Amino acid sequence: MSEPASLLLIDDEERVLRSLAMLFRGRYALYTTTDPQAALDYINRERVHAIVSDQRMPQMRGAELLREVRLRSPNTMRILLTGYSELDAVVASVNDGEIFRFVQKPWDATELRDTVQQAATISQALFTASARPSFTPEAPAATAQHEAVLVIDDDESVFRTVTDLVGEAHPVLWARSVDQALDLLHSHAIGVLIAELSVGGSSVTPLLKVLKAQHPEVVAIVLTPFHDVSVFVGLINQGQVFRLLPKPVRRGTVSMSIASAMKHHRTLSHAPERAAAHAVAPLDQAEEIGLASRMMGLLGRLRRRAAAV
Amino acid sequence: MMPEPRQIAAATSDLAQLRLDVRPLSPTTSVDQAAELFLQPAYARMLCLPVVEHSRVVGSISRHQLNGIFMRRFGRELHGAKPVTQIMNTAPLIVDEMAPLEQAAGYVTTHLGSPITEDFVVVRDGSYRGMGVVMDLLSALQRRVESGSRQLGDAYRQLKASQAQLVQSEKMASLGQMVAGVAHEINTPLGYVRNNLEMIRDVFAQSSDALREHDRLARLLLDPDADETALEQQIAGCRAQIAALDELALLDDTAALFSDSLFGVDTIKDLVVNLRNFSRLDQARVAEVSLNDCLDQTLTIAGNVLKNRVQVIKRYGEVPTVACSPSQINQVLLNLITNAAQAIEHDAGKILLRTEADPHWVRAHIQDNGKGIAAEHLKKVFDPFFTTKPIGKGTGLGLSICFQIVQSHGGTIQVVSEPGRGTKFVVSLPRRAVDAASAEAIAA
Repeated sequence: MSEPASLLLIDDEERVLRSLAMLFRGRYALYTTTDPQAALDYINRERVHAIVSDQRMPQMRGAELLREVRLRSPNTMRILLTGYSELDAVVASVNDGEIFRFVQKPWDATELRDTVQQAATISQALFTASARPSFTPEAPAATAQHEAVLVIDDDESVFRTVTDLVGEAHPVLWARSVDQALDLLHSHAIGVLIAELSVGGSSVTPLLKVLKAQHPEVVAIVLTPFHDVSVFVGLINQGQVFRLLPKPVRRGTVSMSIASAMKHHRTLSHAPERAAAHAVAPLDQAEEIGLASRMMGLLGRLRRRAAAV
Repeated sequence: MMPEPRQIAAATSDLAQLRLDVRPLSPTTSVDQAAELFLQPAYARMLCLPVVEHSRVVGSISRHQLNGIFMRRFGRELHGAKPVTQIMNTAPLIVDEMAPLEQAAGYVTTHLGSPITEDFVVVRDGSYRGMGVVMDLLSALQRRVESGSRQLGDAYRQLKASQAQLVQSEKMASLGQMVAGVAHEINTPLGYVRNNLEMIRDVFAQSSDALREHDRLARLLLDPDADETALEQQIAGCRAQIAALDELALLDDTAALFSDSLFGVDTIKDLVVNLRNFSRLDQARVAEVSLNDCLDQTLTIAGNVLKNRVQVIKRYGEVPTVACSPSQINQVLLNLITNAAQAIEHDAGKILLRTEADPHWVRAHIQDNGKGIAAEHLKKVFDPFFTTKPIGKGTGLGLSICFQIVQSHGGTIQVVSEPGRGTKFVVSLPRRAVDAASAEAIAA
């Protein structure tokens, strides 16, 4: 690339900023600030490929800032840096900020460098794609009606609620185990997944992560009564889940989430370069890697079918 | 405590168990015949015998009454042949078999004359069932009371144990909050110190290379047989390396990284020192400390809830030290300061910390400009389990524990509040050390 990507760093602690600036110096056009308003002003004026924001800042929370950034510049990849895992921050950063990665302090310099590099490369591709006149992310496809919503949950009431809400526009399928879910993913064109984290006694998390790695255009909404920050962080970084909704679910929230998830799915299906924005971090747990290999064959077939459509 | 249904059944069978099978007299029984019966061993325990007609109790006749007749001259001859109905007591003590033990005992003792001259008649739905001895009833009642007080004692011990558990879990909850806060405080300096170290390592590697190349250059310069081209190449290589270091001002910036890192490590050190002072785990339980120091230590620990959100104004007076358990007093101050910060829901939050002393007391004032406490809640704030927080957010024990701690120090804790304007808590501790007994209590 001829011009270096631009990177915005924001933290209320000057020493963190200095340290980060030094880490990225020479590789990016850097802008650093302690003031969220200044960051937003800068984003309004300049093209920014990636932003790394602290969560706890006096004027504005990081998750809130990244939501604003997304509204102003959706092609800017958003990374949240936080000292202490706050559940609210994690949930808000997913649901409002649609962030690319959640990085915990103290961070690993090499990993952060790689993450920012990946984010910047993706963002540059997105900006290039957006500039092309043919790019129409909102255009609904003629076949859109047939994309199904897959509910993976032991709880029948969730399936019924979803059927009530979107059953007229989309087929709604119900899986009560990971294997059933795999079968349905194989036999139907699924646009949106609505999944509980555990179903039929086994975890759905690996499925979500592997599926996103193979099929970035399938959009996942996670419903869960559990509040485990580390699981959520994994779902963001490795699963790029679209929404995290606490149980018991509220109809309004689910309805809105499905609508935006379906829209997002269409955008991704019809502009595959946008799916790159959801590149996931590699898996690091042996059991998840095991499931990944088990799913490969199936997903290969899925991919061929998707290509045929 | 509500009795279990099974216990009611047990109580009714209690009266049935006391019941003695006594064959009743018929109304036609003569006084003589009645007297004969009293002499039989089977009736030895009985003070009186029932008179029953068609299974209805019509009266009773007692040894006492017979004594009254037979002890008179010719009494037996005059009255012996008469039916018992002529002299019997027509209002005997009657209890229903199904009546609870306590109720039966209450009735019997209220209506019992002195000296005790009669037993009580047991009926069921009005039909005669048998007789009961007053002393048996009273000892049954005594056993009941004893078991009741044993149950009460057990319940009291259980309550005490669960209270201790609650106090402990409240302590753990505030400890958890504190640890979370401190962990966050430590993570920020740890984040940049770690990052700096990684970068310094890279710069160090680069500098080492440069040094080695310069060393080689020095050797070439000293070598009279050195090849001129090799020397030129070496000089160019060294220049390039220095230029690379210069270009990004790497060495100067690395120096800055060192001072930032040292600052960060010192920040972490201060946090750890404060955490140690705050918990006083390595010091005596009772110590002479200044409330000013306690407040300062507590502020570092509470930094996480206060940081950037509330302005803390200190107006410390010259206060003498007080003998107290510093970890407990710090716990009180942390609770009050955290509450103050939580009461502030606007951006212009202020917390005023003031200390003062008079000849008898040392006082710490913790005042906020938060939302205040409604008058009807104000008198309950020190009550155990009183909370206005949503379920699961607070145990309602924080302030009641504060109250207990301050009280065990011989001090007082007071509160004034105005909704919409703020709240002030005043902790007063006695200047003179509390006596040995309470010092023990504090330490315990």
